[in-house]
Amino acid sequence: MAYTSSQIVQAVPTGINSALVLIKSETIGTTVSSVAVTGAFSATYDYYKVVVIGGVMSSSTNIKLQLGATATGYYAFVSRGTAAGASDFVGNNNATTFDRIGAGSTNGFYCDINIGDPFATKLTKVEATLITLSTTGSYGKTVGFLNDSTSYTGFTISPDGGTMTGGAIYVYGYTKS
Amino acid sequence: MTYKIQIDDLVRDATAEEAAAIEAGQAEAVAQADALASKQAARQAVLDKLGLTADEAQALLG
Repeated sequence: MAYTSSQIVQAVPTGINSALVLIKSETIGTTVSSVAVTGAFSATYDYYKVVVIGGVMSSSTNIKLQLGATATGYYAFVSRGTAAGASDFVGNNNATTFDRIGAGSTNGFYCDINIGDPFATKLTKVEATLITLSTTGSYGKTVGFLNDSTSYTGFTISPDGGTMTGGAIYVYGYTKS
Repeated sequence: MTYKIQIDDLVRDATAEEAAAIEAGQAEAVAQADALASKQAARQAVLDKLGLTADEAQALLG
């Protein structure tokens, strides 16, 4: 059976029960030290994926995540290692941010963050992949939570040092059914 | 130093207070990196004293 293009477009919203829905995207500017994204979280979703990709850093560094304006209560464990096999572990023990939820270099940057219950008045859970796009950098995972039950609608990402240029931040929500 | 911050689509210069927060965060990161490097150097010094490689020490710890 043949479909016209308008029939195909109409079929998408009702025919696919997607697990991930793009909530918003923000293009990252030039040489910015931080990017705040507002209006990202709501009661519509409990679990979110934030992807930051496509730009470059001014130097090799980690990327931090702050929820709302909260600057305390971040607890996380980071396991990471280099391509040469050296490894180390880092803790965020009541830190001011999740300080390794992504990484980058002049080759590019990358964040893949899963965030649970940021809007709900529950503890916010975070799991993230850390890939310094450098042959001598570290790669690893961060898992942790923010020890408060504040309802958040937005977040800020920022490099440990230097700046970010280009690329975009994509915020997706996981459908509940 | 002037820093640029972005809020959604808007890019602007950081205020003095925001710039201070950025510098404090960067100083914290440098301190963390230094502490980690010191820890790794201390670990390596012990391994050198024992005459073990990192892999051999890990094998000992099982």
